[in-house]
Order: sequence, then C-alpha cells, then structure tokens
Amino acid sequence: MKRFWCAFFMFWPIVAVILCWIAPGQNWWFPRGPSGTGAAMSPLGERIDDLFYMILMITSVTFVGTQVALGYVLFTGARRSDTSHDAEGAEKTWFTHGSHNLEVMWSIVPAAVLLFIALYQMEVWAEYRVKDKFPEEVRKGPQAEVTARQFEWRIRYPGLDENGNPLELMPDPQPTDLYTVNDLHLTSGEPVMIWLRSEDVQHSFFLPELRVKQDAVPGLVIPVWFEATKSTEYSLLCAELCGWGHYKMKARLVAEREEDRLVWLQELQAAQNDDGVPDAGDASDDE
Amino acid sequence: MRVETIIIGLALLISLAGCGAQQAEFVNRDEIDELIPEAQTHVRKVLDGAGIEGETGHFGKPTNMVLWERLPVHYHGAYGAFAETQIDEGADEVSTLNVSLLEQNLPVEPGQTLAWISGKYAGQASTAVAALNEAGNQIEIDPGLSVPPDAGDRFAIAPGAVISHGRKLYAEHCQHCHGVTGDGNGPTAKYLNPRPRDYRLGKFKFTSTGSSVKVTRNDLSQIVENGIPGTYMPSFKLLTEEENHAIVEYVRWLSMRGEIEFKLIQALRNDYSKEAVDSAVASARESDSKLSSSEARQNIVAEMDEYLTGDWVDEFNDDTKFLADQWKQAEDPSALVIPKVARVADTPESRARGRALYLSAKAKCATCHGDAGLGDGSQTLAVQKNPTTNTDYDVPGLFDDWGNPLKPRNLATGIYRGGRRPLDLYRRVHAGISGTPMPAFGTVLKDEEIWDIVNYVMHIPFESRDQRPGDGAGESVPASTEVATVAPDESTDIAN
Ligand code: HEC
Ligand code: HEC
Ligand SMILES: [Cu+2]
Repeated sequence: MKRFWCAFFMFWPIVAVILCWIAPGQNWWFPRGPSGTGAAMSPLGERIDDLFYMILMITSVTFVGTQVALGYVLFTGARRSDTSHDAEGAEKTWFTHGSHNLEVMWSIVPAAVLLFIALYQMEVWAEYRVKDKFPEEVRKGPQAEVTARQFEWRIRYPGLDENGNPLELMPDPQPTDLYTVNDLHLTSGEPVMIWLRSEDVQHSFFLPELRVKQDAVPGLVIPVWFEATKSTEYSLLCAELCGWGHYKMKARLVAEREEDRLVWLQELQAAQNDDGVPDAGDASDDE
Repeated sequence: MRVETIIIGLALLISLAGCGAQQAEFVNRDEIDELIPEAQTHVRKVLDGAGIEGETGHFGKPTNMVLWERLPVHYHGAYGAFAETQIDEGADEVSTLNVSLLEQNLPVEPGQTLAWISGKYAGQASTAVAALNEAGNQIEIDPGLSVPPDAGDRFAIAPGAVISHGRKLYAEHCQHCHGVTGDGNGPTAKYLNPRPRDYRLGKFKFTSTGSSVKVTRNDLSQIVENGIPGTYMPSFKLLTEEENHAIVEYVRWLSMRGEIEFKLIQALRNDYSKEAVDSAVASARESDSKLSSSEARQNIVAEMDEYLTGDWVDEFNDDTKFLADQWKQAEDPSALVIPKVARVADTPESRARGRALYLSAKAKCATCHGDAGLGDGSQTLAVQKNPTTNTDYDVPGLFDDWGNPLKPRNLATGIYRGGRRPLDLYRRVHAGISGTPMPAFGTVLKDEEIWDIVNYVMHIPFESRDQRPGDGAGESVPASTEVATVAPDESTDIAN
C-alpha cells in the first residue's frame, strides 16, 4: 500500500505536466483568435506574453523539481520503513527539521526570483498603466468612452465636424456624440485610448486577444490604451462576475484602418440624425 | 478506503447532475381558473391540448410545436405552392416541379426535406429536395412522384426550421426573463424594473407604426439587436441576421398565441365562468323548483357545447383572421409613421417654440413629464383610471396596460428607450407609446410642431441645471393647473 501512495502522488504531477505540454496543440491554451496561433495581437500583448512564458518557465522548473524531490522522499521513506527500525542494517531517518542552512536557502532563493520578476516586469506594467509612459499617439485623447452596464457595453464616440473629422471626446455627453452598444470601432495599427467607466457595479474590460484586462469601477473614469495590429474583429468580454447576466456581456471590437473607421462614423452619424424623410439630404431610411 | 469514497462521490455527483432538468411547458393565463372545468378544457383543446389525450391544439408545446398555417409567421425554410407542371409523356415519375415560392427564409439546400401541407400528399412522409433552380420557380425532388401534386397544393421546405431554431435561441437568451410562454414572468423577472415585456397582449411599446398598429418585424429585430437602453433588456448584437430573424418569428408566434388565448377565455368568461354558471343554476332552479342543481348545470354545459360547435366556430375563425390581418398590416409600408416634413432646423427659436408647445394645453407633455422634463408632472400624483376596467387604480400615478406602475420618462437623462434618432422621437410623439398612457399626438399636432417639440426634448439633457425651469434655484411656477384631470381625455390614444 505504501508503494501505491507513492505512485499515486507521482501520477498526478506527471498527468499535469503532460496536459500542459499538449494543451497548445489541443487549442486548450490562449484563444486562437485572428492570429490563428493564439499569439497576442498587440505589441504590448506580445511583451506580456513573454513575461508570462518566462514566469511559466520558472514555475515549471520549480514544480518539476519539487515533485521529483517529493517522489524521492516518498520512495526512500517507503524503502526505509520496509525493515523494522531496530533490525540489523536498518537505515536511519534523516532529520532536516531545524536546519538553519536549508531555511535560509529556501527563503532567499524564492525571494530573489520574486524580486527579479517584480523588477523585470516593471517596464511593461508602467507602459500599460502609468499615464506619463503612455505612447505619444494616445495622449491626444480617447477615441471612445466605454461604459459597462449590467449586462452590456455602451459606447459613446465624439461626433464629426462639418469636414468629417472627429471632434474631441468631452467628459460629458454632447449633442453631437454618437452612440452604439456592444460595438466598439477603433483604429488599428496604432495605439488608441478609451475611457472606461461603469454605470452600476464593478465590471472588467477584457480583450483576450490583445491581452488587455482592466476593471471598470463605478465613479472612476479609467484611461485604457492598446494597439490592435491587425484590422479585424476581436472579442470584448466582461471578466468580473458582475451579476447573473455576466455571461451575456459579450461585445465586439472592430479594429479598422482610420479611413474605414471614419466612413463608419459618418454612416453612424447619418443614421443617428435620420429624420425619416428620404429627400432630406440623407437617403438612409430605416426600412 | 479513501479511493472508494472518492469514486462513490464522483458517481453521486455525476448522477445528481442529471436532476433538475425540466420540460418547458406553456402556462395559461390566470383568468382561465375563473372558467368552469368544461370551458377550461375547451380552451386547452384549442390552444395546446395540455392534459388531453391525442390533442395538440393549434399551438402544441414548446418542444412539440404545431405550426398553424393561418398565422403570418415565418415557420419554414421556404414555403410555397405548386404550379401547373407539364409532364413528359411516358415518364413514370415526376421529379422536377414548377413552384411559386411564397416565402423564402433560408437558402434551399440539397438534402432538406419537403413536406406537403395541403392536397393529396398532405400529412404523408416527406421527400428530400435536390435543388431549387436559380429563378426560384422550379424544384427537383428525390425520390420523384408517380402522380404529380395538384397546382395550388402547398408545401414547406425545411419545415419548421426557422421557428424551432428560434425556440432554441429564445430558450437560451430570452426565456429566463420573458418566460416560456412569453408572459414576462421568467425566473429573473421579479428582480427587474421595468418588468420584461409580456408578449401576450400583442402590444409593443417602441414601434415605427401608427398608434393602433402592431409592431413590425424590423422593430422587433432592432430591439433584439440594440436592447432597450435604461432597462434590463440587453442588446444581442452578436447574433447573426438569421438567428435574429428566427427569434423574432418565435416572439411573434408567442405573442399571437397569447392573443388567441386571451380571446378564447374572453369568449367564455361572461357566461361560463364558475360564478356565472352558479348564478345561472340558481336562477334556473328558482323558475323551475323540480330541477336538481346538477341537471340545471348539465343544461348549461349542453348549451355551451352547442355554442362551441355552432356560432363560436365562426367567431373564432373571424377573430383569427382579424388577428392575422393585423400582423400582416404592420408589415405594409403604409403602416410606418414617416414624417411628411423634414426635421425643422434645430435652432434656439425652434426649441423655444417646442418648449411652449411642451407646456401648452394642446400637447400637455408637462402634465406628465413635468415642467423641467424630470418625469414628475402633476398626473403622476393623480389617481388614474384603468382603461380596460374603467375603475380607479388603488394608488396615484400612471400604469401601463400590463398593470405595472409607470413613471413618465425623465427627459433630462438623455436615454431614449425607443432609439435616439430624431425619427424615433418623432414617432414616439406622433404615435404615442402603445401599452402606456403616453398619448399619440399625430392628429393634434402638425409635423412642424412635432419637430419643434423633438428639438426641444433632445436639448433638455444639455440644459444646465440652473437654466432648467422649475429645477434651479429660481422659483418654479406650475405651468398647468389641470392637476386632477384623471382620465386621459379623447385625444389620448390608448390602443385597446
Ligand atoms: C435581463 C432580462 C431580459 C432578457 C434576457 C431579455 N429581455 Fe427583452 N425585455 C426585458 C425588459 C425588462 C423589457 C421591458 C423594457 C421596457 O418596458 O421598456 C424587455 C422588452 C422586450 C421587448 C419589447 C419591446 C417593445 O417595443 O415593447 C421585446 C420584443 C423583447 N424584450 C425581446 C427579447 C428577446 C427576443 C430576448 C432574447 C433574445 C430578450 N428580450 C431578452 C428584459 C429582458
Ligand atoms: C399621460 C402622460 C403623458 C403625456 C401627456 C406625455 N407623455 Fe411622454 N411618456 C409618458 C410615459 C408614461 C412614458 C414612458 C413610457 C414607457 O417607456 O413605458 C413616456 C415616455 C416619453 C418619452 C421617452 C421615449 C423613449 O424612447 O424613451 C418621450 C421622449 C416623451 N414621453 C415625450 C413626450 C412629449 C414630447 C409629450 C408631449 C407632446 C409627452 N411625452 C406627453 C407619459 C406621457
Ligand atoms: Cu460585467
């Protein structure tokens, strides 16, 4: 029975390692998304992935190491107790408890590793979160305001001026503003910023393919920036259990070239100013 | 042994996971309980055959739908009638048939089934469709038929494909709020204000049609796509067009089912409610003291059976046709509310005119929406009359036709449930909001006047608080003195 338990406790780590190993090939890893491989679709996202893989390497090595050590201890323990301890030639148990050297070692080594990770990721973190480090392009202002609400994403865009150029997004709603729900259109290929708010409870703005996740907190307006490398559709999800309809908070991010986005905004503006009279300048009737 | 315990625990968990699954069932309106059991049976028989052996009624169960051809619902992948087909001499089988498609909702693909709805093959096992020609007027069927169907025989391709897809999606996305029956009574409904719509009155609030006209498919599909801002009705933007269409058809079907049920109960409620029958029995025994009460009751039930096999059949057919026509009429382009005049330029002058109208006795917006548009007009404090029963409500304030208390919109929030286009607001004012006390002004106000009001209303959210009359530091003067005009007067258009 002792051997059984040894095997039992070695079996699960081996299963875990094998499962992790085959996961990417089985599409149990990152969502494949538009890249088809599960790779991040934004430059910052790639760096976040690099950090992730680095941490994964460290934890994997630690995991395998500790499991091997555990197995060794279990098996030698089992072997020793095969013979009664006062019998001839019985192996002695090796006491480690209270070993000062060991204690120091396994305090300092993990601390050093953690410190290394903390310092190493600082740069990426700062770029993502600290306003002064935001890329130049996004400092001119947000492209949209995203308001989370149980259970949808309401989006406000600044309107267009007479020449068809976007106005500046104001903190308060303006008569010229344009609105959509669950449909976020932003420029691809350059860093863009949104303002994130919540109308009711806490939500989380999650673009899995771009590796963006930011809580939306009632009462705060949080700037979030990111860059979608490819012009395509991405999913926008809520990543904070916000009520029974949390699973419904699915929307799309359409990243498109600036020209296309402007055309889309113009169409939105025409639709939103529709007065239903076909000859009044715009032909977009709702039928 | 611990391993055994784990295994037994797992087995238990797996077997428990199967519990709690329940069959979706339609429920009847509460009013059905007022009827005598025989009348209840009739209603069930016509509607869904619930509890009656061998009966499916005109609607069946959610999991076993009956597709009643007389309702204008897109049930099938395609639906049409056979046309005259020339048959080659000597051919022992026809496999190419001329058809006229009346409806095509899904692409016709090889392998779909074709079911005959009328004619000599009606009710027989169906055949597979091989192809539809490009012009859409000829189908190949496989296997062919030895005797061709008659011209005018109706058929469905992919029978029920749209509506059953709609049901699945409805169960997944809508049912927990709107309920299996569409009665707005799903398990989450009680936590919501406003309550989810009860489709069974056949009334919808945010339509593009005139005040007593039904909702269009397009309106419903917009609602599903964009949700209703300011309420818990979510947006389902990510559904495909086909899914959206399927859900909308299912909602329309539920709505028609509810209306038919209401009509059925209504037809029997006067004479064959438990109460009416009891008093009829009493009065019959008064005039004939030898009559036992069970005999008297039998006579009344016999009378009812006579009615149900006689006059009622025609009444029911007429009602159904009337209902089907109403829903068809909504799809007619002439049913849409389209302004005759383009939007009046949104100038301060226009807004000022709009404001004056807003406060005027002609439009009386302020009596409900308040001087400052905050939704606190005098009518919210008055006791109103229930338009269906013509009795006063127990508490002051407005109610909708479903009996839920209702506040006039706070226009300062800038949230418009029926859409924020000028056209949407024009329609709200022109046709009112059906099912609510918000009246239609299309006949009272000229187009230009409605546009002035729209311009003003759209500007209310942008007035700063101290500019806002009746809401700043300044004194507020009630604009209207008609505090206690209880009943909506003749210009109000509450569709019944
Ligand atoms: C979270 C609950 C919820 C869910 C889920 C939901 N609804 Fe609703 N729905 C509502 C509420 C609440 C209203 C009433 C809003 C009002 O009265 O202004 C409503 C209203 C409606 C209306 C009436 C619109 C009108 O003009 O009167 C329709 C149609 C509708 N819902 C269809 C659907 C469909 C179809 C689905 C599923 C795809 C769905 N709803 C899912 C809560 C919900
Ligand atoms: C009898 C009371 C009453 C009167 C009079 C009235 N309303 Fe309303 N109005 C309501 C109610 C109640 C609602 C909310 C309906 C709902 O959503 O269920 C409403 C809603 C609205 C809305 C919101 C529509 C949307 O899409 O959310 C607007 C705008 C509006 N009314 C404008 C007006 C204007 C303009 C007038 C005058 C021309 C007017 N109302 C007169 C009761 C009234
Ligand atoms: Cu959420």
